[in-house]
Amino acid sequence: MVTIAFKDLALTNAAKRGMPHERICFTPHPVWGKTDEQMYAYLEGNDPVSGKPLMKEVIGALTDPLTADESKSGTITPPTGAPTFIDTADNLQQQFLDNGMTDFMPIILPTRERVDAMLKATSHKPDEVVGKMTPAQGAFPAWSFTVEQVAVNAVMAGALPDYFPILLAIGSTGISALFSSTNSLVSAAIINGPIRDKLQMNYGIGAMGPFNQANATIGRAWTLMSKNLDGGGIAGETYMGSQGNVINYNNLIIPENEKDSPWTPFHVQKGFKPEENVISFFFGFNITQGQGAKGLGMKPIPHYHEAMSANVAPFASLFGALFILDPLVAHGLGDLGFKTKEDIANWLQKNTTVTVKDVKTMLFSGLPRGPEAAGLTDDSVIPKWPKADAYNFVVCGGQTNPYHQLANMSYRLSVSIDKWT
Amino acid sequence: MNRRNLLGLLGMSPVALAGASALQASDKKTDQTKKGTTQTGGPKLEVLNPRGLPPPITLVPMAKRLDTLDGKTVYLISDGFPGADTFLNQISIWFKKNMPSVTTVYRLKAGGFADDDPKLMAEIKEKGNAAIMAIGH
Repeated sequence: MVTIAFKDLALTNAAKRGMPHERICFTPHPVWGKTDEQMYAYLEGNDPVSGKPLMKEVIGALTDPLTADESKSGTITPPTGAPTFIDTADNLQQQFLDNGMTDFMPIILPTRERVDAMLKATSHKPDEVVGKMTPAQGAFPAWSFTVEQVAVNAVMAGALPDYFPILLAIGSTGISALFSSTNSLVSAAIINGPIRDKLQMNYGIGAMGPFNQANATIGRAWTLMSKNLDGGGIAGETYMGSQGNVINYNNLIIPENEKDSPWTPFHVQKGFKPEENVISFFFGFNITQGQGAKGLGMKPIPHYHEAMSANVAPFASLFGALFILDPLVAHGLGDLGFKTKEDIANWLQKNTTVTVKDVKTMLFSGLPRGPEAAGLTDDSVIPKWPKADAYNFVVCGGQTNPYHQLANMSYRLSVSIDKWT
Repeated sequence: MNRRNLLGLLGMSPVALAGASALQASDKKTDQTKKGTTQTGGPKLEVLNPRGLPPPITLVPMAKRLDTLDGKTVYLISDGFPGADTFLNQISIWFKKNMPSVTTVYRLKAGGFADDDPKLMAEIKEKGNAAIMAIGH
């Protein structure tokens, strides 16, 4: 039984999984937030798709004999579409838009010449399989894709060939930037290493805004890859975010400001060498500004740590915290005694707390289980997150103000960019 | 869109099953939102298809149905989304009122919404006769 909001997703995904005739009965939507009486009324009413009594449909689904089609076995090979399209430039723009292959903004048309120029930026062969991607792990079948198919999307996004190894590294992880959840989730990528300067990426003033070609087009290409390489980003079918998120246009691309940071670069924290080029992935709810919190008015040094703790406290525990700190904040924290990222992570883990009573009323905020739950009462005070590694930090910004931003996001993994050159 | 039309778009209608394609479904679905193509002049270009490669689809024959639910045990499975547990409880109440010979057993599936739960599936095969899974919120 599926609520009507998920009809297209349920029917198409059942078909993709080999059950094109799966017997699905539909209820009105939602069930969440409805009373027992309202939900019982759903059962006494009609299936909104068939228009017939819902429970009669349910019983029929369990007892009506199978049809010949429902008993079929075999394998279907989905067509992959024409390898190329030929038309005028305007008509091709329209064709790509009509078929859901864009972010609904004009693209650079991926001609053979442009794609070949992109392919020259890697030693990998065009037909090499880069990886597999799905709009949501486990929920949808994963598609595979080649170096050339990544290159096509890179061209469409306006990326320069020099950026291509980063996009191949993204593709190799299989991480979609358009994860299909009703939560309108967002993705972030931290970029470390000399490639930031080679590509003239912006990690200073306005780093996360539309002020740099590499930052912008790498992020846009990730979104286009997430639509085209795995069949994702089809609203109502392979994308279910109720409200969507503007960050999905080109994601959070965050080159770390290593030269102005007093701390260890993010990729070195993860075991890479400083001279290696690495991209690290985060995933979660959203990003928000950190200005105005308590502690920031303290003199002479603002109590950044207190502000960070206050700002992160309302976050959902389903994901962790990613702080994007202007270098001025990182140095200020250093002056306050936090000499490493681990120092501030440990302080936040110990001092950012919630009561059990509050946790019980929150969504996506699990209570401790097992031995850690022993003796807890509603008034017990517990850490926001049980481990310090829920807190992550990247230094980025142009030092025009000692501000931080923070994202309710969890770290996923870090991969080498260099292996894709 | 009704199921027949949607399955038709999938190429999975009884007539056209052999041509099924989830990719086609997506193409044709977006075609429906098309505002109209332009017919602009100018030289023609050849451009490359940006799409990846969907996997083959292995058809899964559905399980044989029961002759009747009378005296049978029906498992009610929640995938863990908010509201599924209380909704399934209402289904249990509905059976008690309308088909009292049916026994219902509620279970929360382990893992995330898309994860398999082999232990639960084995339990249903051993002790149950049918299952209803609730998806949505």
